[in-house]
Amino acid sequence: MKNIQIILNAVLSKNIFEYVLVDKNFSVVGTSLGIKMYLGSTPNEGEDIFAYLPELIGSEDDIADIFSNPTFSYLLESVHKSDYYINVSVEHYNEDTVLVLLHNITDLTLSRKKLLQYSNESTLLSNTLQKILDQQNALLFVTHNNEISYSNEQFMEYFSIKQESDIPRRNLQIYKYLDSTLKSYDEMFDRVNSKEEYLCIKDDTFILQASLVESTHKLFTLTKVTKLSKEMQTDSLTGIYNKSYFNTFLEKLIRADDEEGVVVVLDIDDFKKVNDTYGHQAGDDVLKEFANLIQSSVRGDDLLARWGGEEFLLLLKHTNLENALKKVKSLRAQVAAHTFSHIGHMTSSFGVAWKEADDDIHSLLQRADKALYEAKDAGKNRVQFKNI
Amino acid sequence: MIRKKILLLGDFSVGKTSLIRRYVDGTFDDKYLTTIGVKISKKLCIIQGVECEVLIWDIEGETPTKKIPLSYYRGASGAIFVIDVNRSETMEGLARHQEVFFEANPNAKHVTAYNKADLLSEIQKAKFTLDANTFLTSAKSDNNVEALFITLIEEMLA
Repeated sequence: MKNIQIILNAVLSKNIFEYVLVDKNFSVVGTSLGIKMYLGSTPNEGEDIFAYLPELIGSEDDIADIFSNPTFSYLLESVHKSDYYINVSVEHYNEDTVLVLLHNITDLTLSRKKLLQYSNESTLLSNTLQKILDQQNALLFVTHNNEISYSNEQFMEYFSIKQESDIPRRNLQIYKYLDSTLKSYDEMFDRVNSKEEYLCIKDDTFILQASLVESTHKLFTLTKVTKLSKEMQTDSLTGIYNKSYFNTFLEKLIRADDEEGVVVVLDIDDFKKVNDTYGHQAGDDVLKEFANLIQSSVRGDDLLARWGGEEFLLLLKHTNLENALKKVKSLRAQVAAHTFSHIGHMTSSFGVAWKEADDDIHSLLQRADKALYEAKDAGKNRVQFKNI
Repeated sequence: MIRKKILLLGDFSVGKTSLIRRYVDGTFDDKYLTTIGVKISKKLCIIQGVECEVLIWDIEGETPTKKIPLSYYRGASGAIFVIDVNRSETMEGLARHQEVFFEANPNAKHVTAYNKADLLSEIQKAKFTLDANTFLTSAKSDNNVEALFITLIEEMLA
């Protein structure tokens, strides 16, 4: 036995391996010189190995099999013992003895532990952030390289997406809801960055905000404001949009350099006479009927709003001047041909202005309004276009 | 003397090491230090006149990329499954931990710790369905830790 120990001591390199030889009664029959380092003290011959290596308790049957079968072995990885990390392996030595090898893996394990600590802390932080984001009422999504790389639960639910991996396949193109001419999330970010924009998806209106998350990721927030905004955006009498909401869209048209459009100011001719002759209730009915008539004759993309009194605003997008004028003339004819309940026939006048490069909201509206007055001065029931 | 091996199993950072420290040493440290590999603590108990040395295996918490070596499970008489009540995802891993453990130790006993209960309000605590083997625990406030271990040890010795 002494020879074996000498050979093992020579073969097993310094400070990396230590060993204990154990017999079938799990009693110690020999140890390497440095075993104290891992076990706290050096076991004496005949002592119970489990008193020094309780880690082997429960594996008695596995170890017993190793005595009779040279091909069997037992391994317990990464055991933290006496300030060291060791692998404990039990191998066949002869039919009466097994070799319990203690392999010092402290340096490697401590490096791994640092990484694991960092990784676990990152995962915890990431999970916490995820929960915070999921608790927000807003729809949130993050883009990277113009693709949605992350979204919160509310976003997924709104777009009926079951799992995040399905997002690329859906090709949502949220930027198209803001402006059909936008081609990417980066363009949308440039448009929205540090401002707020209204954006409509289906029947819902959202406030869109954008911010940079590091240099590579962009965070977009969609806060639903439908209920509030419907009340704030709608004219209570006619049910069409009000001037304030119209301005929001007109501003977008002004800002979009590559988008063309026409602003029309509409006015019911001699409306005061209706109120004076038939009463204000009849006047209200005419306003409602007029609004319905125009609304049902324009496209979904166009926007009709009430400015106040008997004056209305119409925004015609994605069209050229010639077609826009044709459309407005046909509206005039429709109104003239329509029979209003209890009142009969009425006419209306239209002032038209084409969006020019230097326009702002004020100049564009002013030009359309001037055109309307020209139409009135020229005898009413007509369409007047005002150039810059 | 009877020796029994018990394992603490659960996802990372559910508080396994803290429960052991509280039970064995009566101490608690708020700082999260991940466990790697396995560390064994011993606790001598006398249950109904029977002296028992309990070997408590504090095992590295499982992560999606790191599974627990099967050799750790061998010969265990009991397990404490630990869940962090504030992280629902740690509950999702419970069935997986139980499956692997009972496959290696079909006759073993177990208890379950819904840990970090000190972070819950009384109303939140009342929502948990508990039984004789399930405990709302807190290593921090030393709540139900002794009961958790003793219940398991008693069942193992029964």
